[in-house]
Amino acid sequence: MNKLKYILAFYILFLISSCAHTPPPPLVYNQGAVVETMSTGISLSLQTPERSISGSGFMVYRRPDKIHMILLSPFGTTVFEVFALGNKITLVYPSQGVAYTGPINQLPKKGGAQGWSLMRWVMDADPVGMTKINGTYGRVNNQGSKEDITVINGLITVKSNSDGDKVYYENYSLINGVPVASEIDIRNKQNDRIRLKLQESEVNTHLNDAVFIPRLDGIKLLPLSELKLD
Amino acid sequence: MSYKSLFFLLFLLVALFHESISHARSIDPLLGLEALRKGFVDTTDFTAEITQEKQFSIMKRTMTTTGVVRFKKPDIFFMEIKPPYSSRLLLRDNTIEQSNGKDNNKNRIILPPEQSLKQWFSKLTTPFTKIPDGVDLRADLTASNYTLYISPFKKGMVKELAITFQADGIIRKVVINEQNGDKTTMTFRKFKKNIGLSESDLSL
Repeated sequence: MNKLKYILAFYILFLISSCAHTPPPPLVYNQGAVVETMSTGISLSLQTPERSISGSGFMVYRRPDKIHMILLSPFGTTVFEVFALGNKITLVYPSQGVAYTGPINQLPKKGGAQGWSLMRWVMDADPVGMTKINGTYGRVNNQGSKEDITVINGLITVKSNSDGDKVYYENYSLINGVPVASEIDIRNKQNDRIRLKLQESEVNTHLNDAVFIPRLDGIKLLPLSELKLD
Repeated sequence: MSYKSLFFLLFLLVALFHESISHARSIDPLLGLEALRKGFVDTTDFTAEITQEKQFSIMKRTMTTTGVVRFKKPDIFFMEIKPPYSSRLLLRDNTIEQSNGKDNNKNRIILPPEQSLKQWFSKLTTPFTKIPDGVDLRADLTASNYTLYISPFKKGMVKELAITFQADGIIRKVVINEQNGDKTTMTFRKFKKNIGLSESDLSL
């Protein structure tokens, strides 16, 4: 009877360890599928040499360069909004009744603000499956910049540029037929790290233009150069 | 009993029941405030399960999270949100500590002294004789549920905060309406008070 117990225990352990080491099957997707729009819940964590911030919120994206991200307090109120539209960025702090706007390249160098300048580069993904062979390749991207990409099963898993910025795309799953990385890990040359987890994402659904326009009623609008992050 | 009289009786019952559950009666806001204060006087701690629904006005989307809250007098508030938006928050007087997900990185935010939890709850120790400065207050009573509607005069992020509670201090719902049209509804379930929460129940 004891022997039978041992055999059973060994078998269960074997099953568990097999499950733990079996890689997920590669995603089957249509070549050329691409994220044109996305609306998604997010969990965000930002770590910089000076501070760390984390929270949950919501993000909408329209390819190639429109992003609206909202960070919420634990009680659900809006703490912070970012609108990145082309080369212009607007940061809104509703509780302080103030917003800062200007060209992305005028973002402060410290306090994690530089991470926002990478969002277009991070989100503007290629149509999937265009590169068939696994490996790391150098190329010029659609913004005209040089970058290295690492491709596995036709999906970009790592991207890095000559400035020392790097982004890791993890845990791809199919949403509306399009592979989407549900975890994005961004490291920049300032030693900032932004980790973004996407939840309950909707891909390639209609988004009104209004969602990308900052709502600034009652908000004092200042130039980005006046933003001070300690 | 004929079908006609049975139908009439049913109609009467439904009408009375509907009236009792849905009719909100405006009451003196000071009465509502005092009901909140009195309900809270004998509360030393509480715990509840929560469902939080954030409605984004412009995006036509709702984000729903669930979790637990715990409070212990005079100044400790704990909130844990379950996956997928995992987070834990501890507010001890005017210091917020927060950790998100499994990476266990903690943020620490120090609130200004006037926003300390101890200060807020100290206001509930003595009876209210007038509406507190700086806010507009309305109140209504629906069956046994009071609702207080608090609107700050100073134009900030919050347009109105509504808290629904019973006379015995059990909180049912908190609704926050923001200036931008967004709305957050926090619904409380399994509300238990005076259960003797320990330090370990209130740590990150």
